[in-house]
Amino acid sequence: MNKPSMQQAILVYALLGIALIVFLTPIYLIASSSVKPSPIMFQRPPAMLFEPTFEHYRDLFTMRPFGKFIMNSLMVALGSTAFSVFFGSIAAYAISRIKHKRMNDIAFWILSMRMFPPIAVVVPYYIIFKTAGLLDTPLALIIVYSTANIPLTVWLMKGFFDEVPRALEEAAAVDGHGLISIFWRVTLPLAAPGLAVSAVFCFIFSWNEFLFALMLTGSEAQTATVAVMSFWSSDAVQWGRIMAGSFVILIPGVVFVLTCQRWLVRGLTMGSVK
Amino acid sequence: MIFLLPAMLVLFLTTIYPMLYAGYLSFRSYDLAKPFVPRVFVGWSNYQQVLTSGDFLNALSITFQLMVITLSIQLVVGVGLALLVTQRLPGMGIARTLLLIPMMISPVIVGLVWLFLYFPELGYLNYFLSFVGLDPIPWITSPNWALWAIAIADIWQWTPFIMMGTAAALTSLSPEPYEAARIDGNTRWQVFRHVTLPQLKPVLVSLVFLRAIDAFKIYDIIFVLTKGGPGDSTEVLSLYIYRQSFTFWQMGVGAAASFVSLIIIVVLITLFFKSLNRDQTA
Repeated sequence: MNKPSMQQAILVYALLGIALIVFLTPIYLIASSSVKPSPIMFQRPPAMLFEPTFEHYRDLFTMRPFGKFIMNSLMVALGSTAFSVFFGSIAAYAISRIKHKRMNDIAFWILSMRMFPPIAVVVPYYIIFKTAGLLDTPLALIIVYSTANIPLTVWLMKGFFDEVPRALEEAAAVDGHGLISIFWRVTLPLAAPGLAVSAVFCFIFSWNEFLFALMLTGSEAQTATVAVMSFWSSDAVQWGRIMAGSFVILIPGVVFVLTCQRWLVRGLTMGSVK
Repeated sequence: MIFLLPAMLVLFLTTIYPMLYAGYLSFRSYDLAKPFVPRVFVGWSNYQQVLTSGDFLNALSITFQLMVITLSIQLVVGVGLALLVTQRLPGMGIARTLLLIPMMISPVIVGLVWLFLYFPELGYLNYFLSFVGLDPIPWITSPNWALWAIAIADIWQWTPFIMMGTAAALTSLSPEPYEAARIDGNTRWQVFRHVTLPQLKPVLVSLVFLRAIDAFKIYDIIFVLTKGGPGDSTEVLSLYIYRQSFTFWQMGVGAAASFVSLIIIVVLITLFFKSLNRDQTA
């Protein structure tokens, strides 16, 4: 494509400027409201310059056990990530290496597991975990999130394994390495970026999840997303606290976008757009 | 191969088993509020109750309305933004990255910040709109506006997704057809319509299917903004199932409704895979 002319460039910048304002204002609002003193929270025109206060953050961690909820979120997200990356990557290796006409069907079957509406299985999960005594435990959420994270890992890792040259594996086989040794010493290190990307995606999806966390946890295993929502109903709308909690929750996702945006396309389209 | 088995086993136990269990429940009368009443087999009566109830059909219709509204706007705006950020100008990379941020935010947080903006009397959105001469809009308190309020939040979060996928596809297009089209003296619009768009089509189809499948699952944003109200004006399928199961404790009815929605989603997923396979063979 040709380089745009001066007028076209101005138009492009103007339109993008509007888009940036629209898409970033809500994020700015979360950040600024989280440090805005309550009396001027809804002042018109909006107070742009004010003495920032950290009282909302302080309240979050002192008047509420928000630290505990953050730890729950971390535990669940890390647990599910470890579980999914382990099972997902070995399955992806099999799918990538076995040439069989049914393999495609299996890959699609695994992917479809991710696409089912969570609400359709939340009732059975609720009853199963209730029977097993796992309601309100991090383990229940780790299991549930893995059902979405394993298919994601399988599809991402399949793409990365496909790119590892077969010749390297064959050379290792000639040297007398077994299947597991080849996978562990040759293929996996070469697909390491894929492992990192899969892990980050699994982490963020688990960290952000709300529906299952709401239904399957109570006061013990509650995660941060559910806790923030509970400020809404219990404290007669503590907007400062809600925004402070929201800001804490959105940090991992924003950091991810700013640092690894080139992997986003692959992860969010399950490899259907590269 | 042994490598495949563990993951398949885990997925079977964690997804297929609950689904089969949902299937089993859907033929039973199961009232969670009465735990000692035996769960008797009731045949198709749960399905009959679901499919003939106005509530379910209303939920189905609202789900599709929301899907059509959000998808069409996301598609147009997303493709437009993709055309902007792929211009060869300085700063485009940063703009593109910044625009992607909404996608990775938890939908609950998206719901909460839009609630902050829509909030009756206090919300800033009506204040901003007053500058362009608009009267205050009862965003979440009026049945006429609530669905739009939800659609706007969803569009805000997911337009970047269409932009991202389209921009990725645009940068990988081959330049030759453009030079040919330009030599032939076509206008920009003609080039876009007859050269760019046909090449983008497979990617756009994938993106739209992925969004459509997700649109079917929408829950968090609605739960935060309206909980399905006012009345049942924003009660999509997930909220209907939630209400049957956890407000009325009719687990059997909830399961039957889940199964009907599963069938619809299976159709969507199958169509998506068909379109992917066609791309790969073409």
